[in-house]
Amino acid sequence: MSSTAPVLVSIRDLVKRFGPTTAVDGVSLDVAQGEFLTFLGSSGSGKTTTLFIVAGFEDPTGGDVLIDGRSVLSVAPNKRNIGMVFQRYTLFPHLSVFDNVAFPLAVRRRPRHEIEQAVKETLALVRLEEFAARKPGQLSGGQQQRVALARALVYKPRILLMDEPLAALDKKLREEIQIEIRRIHRELGVTILYVTHDQEEALRLSDRIAVFSHGRVVQVGSGADLYERPADAFVAGFIGNSNFLPARVRGVDAERTAVELPNGAVVAGRTDSALASGGEASLMIRPEKLFLVNGRDAPDANYDCRVDVTLRDSTYLGDSLQREVVTPWGQCLMVRQTGDAEALSHAGTGAALTLCWHSGDARVFRKTAGSSAPRS
Amino acid sequence: MLLSLNRMGPGRYALYSIGVLVALFLLFPILFIALLSFGSSQWLQFPPPGWTLKWYRDFFDDPRWIAAILTSLKVGLCVMALSIALGLPAAFALVRGSFPGRVALRAFFTSPMIVPIVILAIALYAVFLRLGLNGTFIGFVAAHLILALPFSIICIVNALEGFDEAIEKAAIVCGASKLEAICRITLPSIRLGIFAGALFSFLISWDEVVLGIFMASPSLQTLPVKMWTTLRQDLSPVIAAASTLLIVVTMAVMALAAFIRRRSEP
Ligand SMILES: Nc1ncnc2c1ncn2[C@@H]1O[C@H](COP(=O)(O)OP(=O)(O)O)[C@@H](O)[C@H]1O
Ligand SMILES: [Mg+2]
Repeated sequence: MSSTAPVLVSIRDLVKRFGPTTAVDGVSLDVAQGEFLTFLGSSGSGKTTTLFIVAGFEDPTGGDVLIDGRSVLSVAPNKRNIGMVFQRYTLFPHLSVFDNVAFPLAVRRRPRHEIEQAVKETLALVRLEEFAARKPGQLSGGQQQRVALARALVYKPRILLMDEPLAALDKKLREEIQIEIRRIHRELGVTILYVTHDQEEALRLSDRIAVFSHGRVVQVGSGADLYERPADAFVAGFIGNSNFLPARVRGVDAERTAVELPNGAVVAGRTDSALASGGEASLMIRPEKLFLVNGRDAPDANYDCRVDVTLRDSTYLGDSLQREVVTPWGQCLMVRQTGDAEALSHAGTGAALTLCWHSGDARVFRKTAGSSAPRS
Repeated sequence: MLLSLNRMGPGRYALYSIGVLVALFLLFPILFIALLSFGSSQWLQFPPPGWTLKWYRDFFDDPRWIAAILTSLKVGLCVMALSIALGLPAAFALVRGSFPGRVALRAFFTSPMIVPIVILAIALYAVFLRLGLNGTFIGFVAAHLILALPFSIICIVNALEGFDEAIEKAAIVCGASKLEAICRITLPSIRLGIFAGALFSFLISWDEVVLGIFMASPSLQTLPVKMWTTLRQDLSPVIAAASTLLIVVTMAVMALAAFIRRRSEP
């Protein structure tokens, strides 16, 4: 989404406490009109609570939510004209699919012919026209969520909130509906706030992703931003696969931070935050940015960092070769090689190899609890 | 299933026989009284020497029986309506509320099921004497309501607990006010629980006799009370006819409940 689109939803310093727990701890976000913004974070990180405050189901302890520049905190949830799809199945069990989708228009007292027209169009949008007469109990989980989507869109809200709508579905179905959601977002230009804990889903759907952790937004950016320039080890561990090497800061210059690995090798990486020399740090590098060679010759001069490793395992994955190597200090690292991988394909388990990378592809983070983030 | 009938071999025939015997044991008094009500013997001879509808004619010709049956119906319907009207808000408070003492209150609401009915009857008699409610229609309804309310509350609480509140939230996001969401979405979704509570309430009042004896006056008697007082004077086959009618109405209500349940399953 172009940055010139006007801001539609503005979340300012939002705080929400439930007794002793702080569910949302100072979240600020601007959502542009027509944008698809995803809240990505593990369970309990405050995504649903933030969404519920925007919907009006929870009152914030502090902060504000503006739509079109006006605070909506005093507006009742049924007057906010926002669409919402929930994590659980929330179709009205006693009403047919048609009546479910017609409900928002019925409570708005629209004339019957207009309701019929709109329901038909919206059911066509989610490709469920022929299911209009069914009861929710006669639909699969995926169909129910598509009806819920139609019900949330039929009154043409400008903002659509979706709280992990696909979490209960299996992978194949999830991917199918993700494609539908993308298409619908493109066709309608509705502004979407989407919640998920699935990084792949976030990357596939979103214009921008806000990474949540412990009630805070750690970083906001496009998928490429988060992948290429993660703000900290937590984000790096959450988006995509990564290797984290324990390191000690040796020197800092304008572009690179030099760090010493446990075996004494000095390598470098980029960093955004100022690090104290001698401090503990963590060097992050993506598996596909690592390169394995025989002997000490790197394929070209750009690969300015090297570590001797032992090959432990190779897995052929069709489009790539995934290798596990062990460093002199006993850490296991992931290497993914594409393209010209045959050069080493004969190398067996236990072969001594050299791991090299370009210092511009590595990042140095301050040592935090997050630096031990699990690989996803 | 661990305990599958088909895998039990010959043992299952023993089970079947026990089942049939228990059913007969439970049904026997009812069958017996129904047969007697059609028997021609004044003295409730069994087996009946012949068959007649005379006792039913006597029953419907006697204005006191008709008055009793009408009183029973009126009291039952009032109890049913009030039991739902009070049970619904109580159930919402018990399930949705977050006030202190909610759990204790919930236990308290079911306590009339635990207190022996005779004790309840004596206590009510004493209190209603002061209030001047003994022998009045309101007294009957109030007394039966105490017995019926726990049942309707339990039925509605169970239904409400099985209803995901997120569905109500969805209705509100769709533009419905809280009241509209409850009336158009929540109540229809829990209607089975409400029906069950209503039918239970009616039936509890319909065949209640202990509280009724304490509440009744010569001019205001429910059907079971009238049967009880008649029985103490003479043993006439009209009692058998009245009993059979009582049971028929009860069974009709149960059948209605089963029918509604089956109809509303998807
Ligand atoms: N109604 C509530 N009462 C008490 N604690 C709550 C309530 N709702 C959420 N929380 C707490 O707030 C935190 C954030 O929850 P939530 O927003 O649901 O996280 P997420 O959607 O990211 O999984 C959790 O620790 C959760 O236990
Ligand atoms: Mg959640």
